[in-house]
Amino acid sequence: MTRVRYTLFNSTVISLVLILILQLFRLQVVEQHDHSEVAHGNALRNIRVLPARGSVYDRNGSVLVHNLPKYTVTITPKYFDESYIPRLSQHLGVEDSVVAHRLESARKRNPYQPSPAFSNVSFEQYSRVIEDSYLLPGVGAVIDQRRNYPSDARMSHALGYIGEINRDELHTMGIDADSALYRQGDYLGRTGIERSYEPWLRGVPGIARRWVNVYGVEVMSYASGHGDQQPRHYYDIHLGIDSDVQALAESLFVNKRGAVVALDPNDGSMIALVSQPDYSLELFDDGVQGDSWRALVNHIDKPLYNRATMNFMPPGSTWKPFMALFALSEGLLGEHGHEATIPCKGYHPLGGGKVFRCLGEHGSINVLDAIKHSCNTFFFEIARRMDISAFHDYASQFGFGAHAPIDLLEQTSGLIPDSSYFGSLPNYLQRTSMMNMGVGQGDMGVTPLQLARYVSAIANGGTLHASHLVTHLANPETGETLPVPDLPDPAELQIDTLHLNLVREGMRLVMEEGTGVMAQIPGIPSGGKTGTAQAPGDMTDHSVFIMFAPFDDPQIALAVQCENTGDGSQCAAPIASLLAEQYLKGEVPPSWRTDIRMQRALSATSQLLAIDDDL
Amino acid sequence: MRRWYQQLDFLSVFVWLCLCACGLVAIYSSTHGEAQEFLLSTVQNSFQRQLMWLGISLIAFVGTLLIPVNLLTRLAPLIYISTIVLLIVALVIGREVSGARSWVYIGPYGFQSSELAKIGALCMCAYLWTSRLELQKIFHRAGLIAAILVLPAMLIVLQNDLGTTLVFAGLIPVLWLCNGIPLRIVGVILIFPIAGYLAIIHWMIAVGFIAVVGLVAWVGTRDFKWIGVGVLASALTIGMATFALNYVFQPYQVDRIVSFSNPEASEFRSGVGFHLVQSKAALGSGGFWGHGFKQGSQTQGRYIPEQSTDFVFSVIGEEWGFVGSVLVLLLFASLILRLIWLSQSIEHPFATCLICGVAGLFLIHVVINLGMVLGLLPVIGIPLPFFSYGGSALLTNSILLGLALSIYMRRSELSLYR
Repeated sequence: MTRVRYTLFNSTVISLVLILILQLFRLQVVEQHDHSEVAHGNALRNIRVLPARGSVYDRNGSVLVHNLPKYTVTITPKYFDESYIPRLSQHLGVEDSVVAHRLESARKRNPYQPSPAFSNVSFEQYSRVIEDSYLLPGVGAVIDQRRNYPSDARMSHALGYIGEINRDELHTMGIDADSALYRQGDYLGRTGIERSYEPWLRGVPGIARRWVNVYGVEVMSYASGHGDQQPRHYYDIHLGIDSDVQALAESLFVNKRGAVVALDPNDGSMIALVSQPDYSLELFDDGVQGDSWRALVNHIDKPLYNRATMNFMPPGSTWKPFMALFALSEGLLGEHGHEATIPCKGYHPLGGGKVFRCLGEHGSINVLDAIKHSCNTFFFEIARRMDISAFHDYASQFGFGAHAPIDLLEQTSGLIPDSSYFGSLPNYLQRTSMMNMGVGQGDMGVTPLQLARYVSAIANGGTLHASHLVTHLANPETGETLPVPDLPDPAELQIDTLHLNLVREGMRLVMEEGTGVMAQIPGIPSGGKTGTAQAPGDMTDHSVFIMFAPFDDPQIALAVQCENTGDGSQCAAPIASLLAEQYLKGEVPPSWRTDIRMQRALSATSQLLAIDDDL
Repeated sequence: MRRWYQQLDFLSVFVWLCLCACGLVAIYSSTHGEAQEFLLSTVQNSFQRQLMWLGISLIAFVGTLLIPVNLLTRLAPLIYISTIVLLIVALVIGREVSGARSWVYIGPYGFQSSELAKIGALCMCAYLWTSRLELQKIFHRAGLIAAILVLPAMLIVLQNDLGTTLVFAGLIPVLWLCNGIPLRIVGVILIFPIAGYLAIIHWMIAVGFIAVVGLVAWVGTRDFKWIGVGVLASALTIGMATFALNYVFQPYQVDRIVSFSNPEASEFRSGVGFHLVQSKAALGSGGFWGHGFKQGSQTQGRYIPEQSTDFVFSVIGEEWGFVGSVLVLLLFASLILRLIWLSQSIEHPFATCLICGVAGLFLIHVVINLGMVLGLLPVIGIPLPFFSYGGSALLTNSILLGLALSIYMRRSELSLYR
């Protein structure tokens, strides 16, 4: 072989290698940035790290809500071949068609991203999938949290449920699809404190940058985790709720519709908030299923509806202490109002004995006795004398007819008529309506929450606290605590102490000698007032009761409404009394009084609501 | 006089071992990174298996060194015929692996018959110099060499292994060059692949190439006949290639051929261009210094298909960067150039044919494989010698190197056969 040929061969080798080196230089040095971007786009994912949703504790530190691990199997459709379906369905114990269906929905969502296909699988199913993951490309698994409710107290309405956020909601919240804060499918508090304390419970999601492999499985951290943002700022929530009182209340409401609000009159914190019938929050664990949801929404008893804050009905005779205070402060009873009497012949003369009837013939009766005996005639007369605007203003002062300051968003304002309300009615009907309001009937409505705040103000000497379920928030990592955010200052009511003491005394007499006598707490003096709210149509009356105890140093103030169960002393009063005793003593010791109250509370049942055939 | 084993060219052996070591590092990195647990169990063992094959190859290498030259020259036709038979056997009873029916199994152990055929073909071509065949006419020799290479190449086409076929085709000009075939003929045969390639890239470059061919022919031959042949050959090739791309091939075939020049295009990137986009992303993101051992995101995330076989260079590129890639290229270049130098220092036609054949074979593999990985050539599946995972190729390449070094080592015996 000649020298020329060797030279040719050698120079061919050298020039080919040079071409390759030049191309390497181009790719790795000149175009490095472009190719790195492609590489990062391939393999670098920003993965959100959601902080665990805050837990919820009761007044005594018992857990009401916490989190348990939730195992979810994900599918990345691009890497998942349909031939894997039998293996996956076998691991999960479902039919092949179910897997195929979930695969199809995942594909519609985003074929390149892992999407949750099977949530809430058992730990065993999760383990089987993980162990075989190398045979199941495109299948992943994530562990996140689900809400768990270990307490005996269900507290459905106070705690509220969480639900998956959907695209429309994200849109209305003004959150774009790439925001780390919320993404489609995230859980969001829907009702109760889960809703009103959403930002604190949720915290701020962190971001972790991870290398993922071609199957979408995380394989390495990026830059050893430098630059990752830790999730921040979530708080555990501590409630004023006493879960024992709450649980007792819920158990007493068998076969009844109704609500309880129990407040601490010293600071407005809520000891119990009951609305019955309720529902199991666990139904919402994994996004409520269609049938369950429809059943809840369409149920005639409206279990989703928070009666404690939204159900307004006439207060019945529990309104009389208010009317007494109103009359005394407005001077409707004259100069020495507390001594002034009104004659009662068993009816108010207006309407001729048929319309405005009293429970008995009380003769000349003063304020104290009128409250004690619940004399209708006395309060009809006050109402006859009153000015509707003054009445409305005075009721507003107690928080009636308006949303109460409370850390729940589900609320109605109730109804207290003012001068414009009756504007179109003829004069005699206006009068009739106003007279009825004197005894808490007719065209007015108050919620159990409003009633409880009112009795709480009477109990504590005239301070109207903002009500709050939450007592404080605590960051579980730093131990930092926050007070209730945006808690309004308490309002001092303009009530003469003399008048207030008179009314309180009347309420004490109710418990000791009047209609509440069977609802006394053994050993603890208290004040209370029964009420019977007329139900529309021919339904049984609603049983209403307000109460505070102990009389001299009130620690608890309650309002109880039992729908369609009869008069106030039958159902609402024993329930309120048992709850107060539970709260004050930490137990309900056995006694004959306990037996009577239990028997009365449990035997009462709400008259069934008629189901329209149309439904 | 030095003993025969002292004549071994230790530089080549050293470079060869360096290449094998780099290959093992690449395979180790792609199978033992943080993502190891997510690999298929068969892939997880790649490194161990390759290590085992390297051991076998070392033994075969030493064994090859022990073969006396006269035995080799006598055995050459037998080796050639047996590799041809093996190819036929593979066609008949072989097993298909990733599309190519070239695997012959003895029990659980399989090897690729097309790899061994390279040894046979090279030995046979060299054998021509020792036989008593009347090959005074240079065209007889050219034809015979072509025939020796085309026979296995055709069988391998039947096995559906286009890459290996191309290697055999590529050996024709190399062996012609080494066997004294007139340069103008070697030049003409080189026109076809180059003109075809340029026709794929851009017609203007292809037309420019015709002019270059004419110029080279004029400078080289001063003969209008050869200018005519050169220009005609290039123009015809370009015309036929363009015609074939536009009218003969199916669109999917055209895509496969042309996509390498622009794999990022939206119509290619998730289909035929996928390999290349991923491979370029991996290489390019490596930058100058690379991400480091087991740190390449594309490697660890297995974004490059066939990253321990045909695309193994992307691992080097991503994790060791431009520096590492160039180093590997220089290792290859030095091995090839060293082999050519060894051949030149012997000046014996048998040795030249065999050693330069081996050097040419390595060159073809490296250029086609890296051309593909770097996006200069269409995706053609052939392995990178000593790097790609695969026992048959490693064994074959080691035996080939062993043959070349064995001949050089025993160069004193060669004069007997001149």
